[in-house]
Amino acid sequence: MGYLEELLVKEGLSLVGKRVSRPDALDKVLGRPLFTADKLTRGMLWAKIVRSKYPHAIIKRIDKGKALGVPGVLTVLTAEDIPGENQIGYAIPDQPLLAMDKVRFVGEPVAVVVAENEEAAEKGAELVEIEYESLPAVFDPLEALKPVAPRIHESGNIATTTIIRKGDVEKGFREADVIVENTYKTQRQEHAYLETETVIAVPEINKVTILACMQSPWLIRRMVAKVLGYKQSKVRVIELPAGGAFGGKDDMIPMIAPIAALAAVKTGKPVFLMFKRDETFEASNKRHPSIIRYKSGATKDGKLVAVEIEIIYETGAYANRGPFVLWRATAHAAGPYEVPNVKVDGKLVYTNRVFSGSFRGFGDPQIHFAAESQMDELAAKLGMDPVEFRLKNILKPGLTTTCGQVVDQSVGVEEALRKLAEKINWEKRKREIEEYNRESKRKLKGIGVACAYHGISTSRGAPDWSAAAVIINEDGTITYKGGICRLGQGSLIGHAKIVAEILGVPLSYIQIEGPDTDAIPEARPTHGSRGLMTGGTAAADAASKLRRNIVRVASEMLECKTEDIEIKDALIYVKPDPSRNIPFSEAAKELYVRGYETAAYGFYRAPKRFFDPKTGLGVAYGVYVYIVNIAEVEVDTWTGQVKVERVHTAADVGKAIDPDLIEQQFHGAIAQGLGLTLTEDIVFSDGKILNNNYTDYVIPTVKDRVEVPTVVLVEQPYKGAAFGAKGVAEAALIPTPPAITNAIRHATGIRFKELPVTPEKVYFALKKRRGEKS
Amino acid sequence: MNETGNLKIKFTLNGKPIEYMVKPNWTLLDLLRKELSVLSPKEGCSRGDCGACTVLLNGKPVNSCLVLAPQIDGKEIVTVEGLIEDKEFKALKETFIEKGAVQCGFCTPGIIVSAVALLREKGNPTVQDIEEALEGNLCRCTGYIRIIEAVKQAAEKLQKTS
Repeated sequence: MGYLEELLVKEGLSLVGKRVSRPDALDKVLGRPLFTADKLTRGMLWAKIVRSKYPHAIIKRIDKGKALGVPGVLTVLTAEDIPGENQIGYAIPDQPLLAMDKVRFVGEPVAVVVAENEEAAEKGAELVEIEYESLPAVFDPLEALKPVAPRIHESGNIATTTIIRKGDVEKGFREADVIVENTYKTQRQEHAYLETETVIAVPEINKVTILACMQSPWLIRRMVAKVLGYKQSKVRVIELPAGGAFGGKDDMIPMIAPIAALAAVKTGKPVFLMFKRDETFEASNKRHPSIIRYKSGATKDGKLVAVEIEIIYETGAYANRGPFVLWRATAHAAGPYEVPNVKVDGKLVYTNRVFSGSFRGFGDPQIHFAAESQMDELAAKLGMDPVEFRLKNILKPGLTTTCGQVVDQSVGVEEALRKLAEKINWEKRKREIEEYNRESKRKLKGIGVACAYHGISTSRGAPDWSAAAVIINEDGTITYKGGICRLGQGSLIGHAKIVAEILGVPLSYIQIEGPDTDAIPEARPTHGSRGLMTGGTAAADAASKLRRNIVRVASEMLECKTEDIEIKDALIYVKPDPSRNIPFSEAAKELYVRGYETAAYGFYRAPKRFFDPKTGLGVAYGVYVYIVNIAEVEVDTWTGQVKVERVHTAADVGKAIDPDLIEQQFHGAIAQGLGLTLTEDIVFSDGKILNNNYTDYVIPTVKDRVEVPTVVLVEQPYKGAAFGAKGVAEAALIPTPPAITNAIRHATGIRFKELPVTPEKVYFALKKRRGEKS
Repeated sequence: MNETGNLKIKFTLNGKPIEYMVKPNWTLLDLLRKELSVLSPKEGCSRGDCGACTVLLNGKPVNSCLVLAPQIDGKEIVTVEGLIEDKEFKALKETFIEKGAVQCGFCTPGIIVSAVALLREKGNPTVQDIEEALEGNLCRCTGYIRIIEAVKQAAEKLQKTS
């Protein structure tokens, strides 16, 4: 039996599956200096980015003279100072580190001022003179698609396209008794993490070290090496805990660490670079705005027969992660249902606005908003209950996804939906609400359901792996070196629980260390809900290797067979006679004395998968996390205000390594989904963002909080991961917008197809329905 | 004020008297973080929106990014570093950890400072009191559910022990 199979059947677990209090909480409560900005020391230089004020313009001339005259300013760096490649495009090489000949959005980095202090850096940045020749700009993706539109890139305004052709949609629609067709739109969302992007670069001899909040240490290493013209071994990246990340720091830190590194290498001094809040709003990636035309057909007995979907995702000035975001949306376009005939066409479109990118859900919230709105509209047309209609079509083992992938294991969406509906008494609750609404004059209540699925980690058969390291110290303590970043989600706590479980020691024995590219091989990024699953499996691999050594040395010490050794609570004993025992620490010391290996690297490798880009068919993801949300709302028909009273949630998590950490992720994801649904929207004027602060860009406050009274965890294990666990960090956000808008539909009868659903929109929609003029 | 426009101010920081030469445009947050290496107040927005830099000024919670350093002359400043032995803080510390009210932790010191001020004023706060006390503290990770529970439970703990 391999170690993964052994773990799946392991009995008497002491940590896995149990709630623990977070080992990182105390330092955070005490406000200890954990974060990048807390590491600022005297003698560090300040870097300030000079940004484009134009949405689309040619750079005619850059004059550094006045800036260099500011006392304390040491240097001003532009594209021509870059020793390596001036290219940081992630999927497509379309994005310079510092703009060279032209700028494509307001906020694009053009130069960087390096000074002895913050004031001088800021003053210098104001005095860098850049002469532009303004070009016509395009701010709307539909405009950008027109042949007359200004060209943002030489290749045109379409960054990439996607397709899926499964079955025959024309035949499918001929079989349909009901057809629903709608266009949905979603907006640009800002991550709004409390800690802005912050990087420290320290020049070493022939080397440079980066310290930062981050999600992708090895990508940062690649980007810094590329920009400086260094070998990867000459760049060391050390991860520091992030004050929130949500995908934003996955894209952004690899784009700004090279700027800090360039400044450090040019000046020979450590450099500190921190975005101000308005910079984060104006120049950091956002959730892709979308326009989705969605046509669905079902038979009168409630079977989905076809979907035809056109997706436009606006990527802004640069493609960044857009091709992967669009692909993910395409691959999940039909929702967690089996649909025999699927046609999807996706376009990723450039505009002269800040680039889009990774954000919790990575393209799936937008497409599920459309897909799950359609499901309720079909159910309404069929006169069917939304839960009942979904259950008739829901994915089960042996059925196929949007892109024809047969899902064979850990497909607990049916169980999640059934259990949640039962637990909250869906039918009864719905009836109670309808009765309430018959009596109520001003306030209307509603209940809505939405399901979602989300492929874990990377897609389309791309190679995927992770790594970790475990050291058993001479006193029996364990150092765990994770490859997954600390964003607040607690993946490394999950890993440490896995390591402690396998080695038979309490969690307090494990010292958790974040990624360091000089300490472990590449573990790949912390995104795609992969941190726990891929990193935790690598941790289990390393711990399993060391357990074998501990068992061997203990069997020598206790003079028994290795099969008879058991380890629990750091005590190693002989199963048939537990009085024969030694502490874990003694065995640890003996590992060193007797020459056993005391450290091990662990690896995770995704199984090889097949994917055909020509049809969009194949194995898109190794495994999916499934989630169901049920939202209850109250709509004030006088003001248009929507109050989300509660969201119930259920998910197939494979195996809950820590049910409490999972619940924490659900809470945060639902809150972010709430903001996406009701309030958050980036507003522009001529390409410039107007609401570049927390006053004008409204994220949920404590008063907007949504209770999550019901959490159901379904555990259908995934055999490819340690203990069968899948990731959950993004999951609960994805069905939140459609669950809420389906509830609003239930309350008011009105289908909102554009996010955010602001009080104004609700107010005027209600007024229009009453036949009043606005 | 001297000829450079700098001012000498006297104040107490976490119970210790301090005299410091400050520039008139420094904020209290700059003074704490950059000059005095008091790092529990975090810089999140620099305009009083997020509450990550909340400290106690004469016992009242304020955004230290909105207070100019010269304004604290003769006043008392308390940060998390100065609350370690405080009974409200200790109760909150325990319940924030027990309840899992901490994720990334960037907003946590500011929230706890606001909560300390609340619990000193109201021993038995309602949920509405807690909401009002924490309205100026943004958190993007937790959805606030556990934070409310932790403050409520800390209040109950303190009630029992008093």
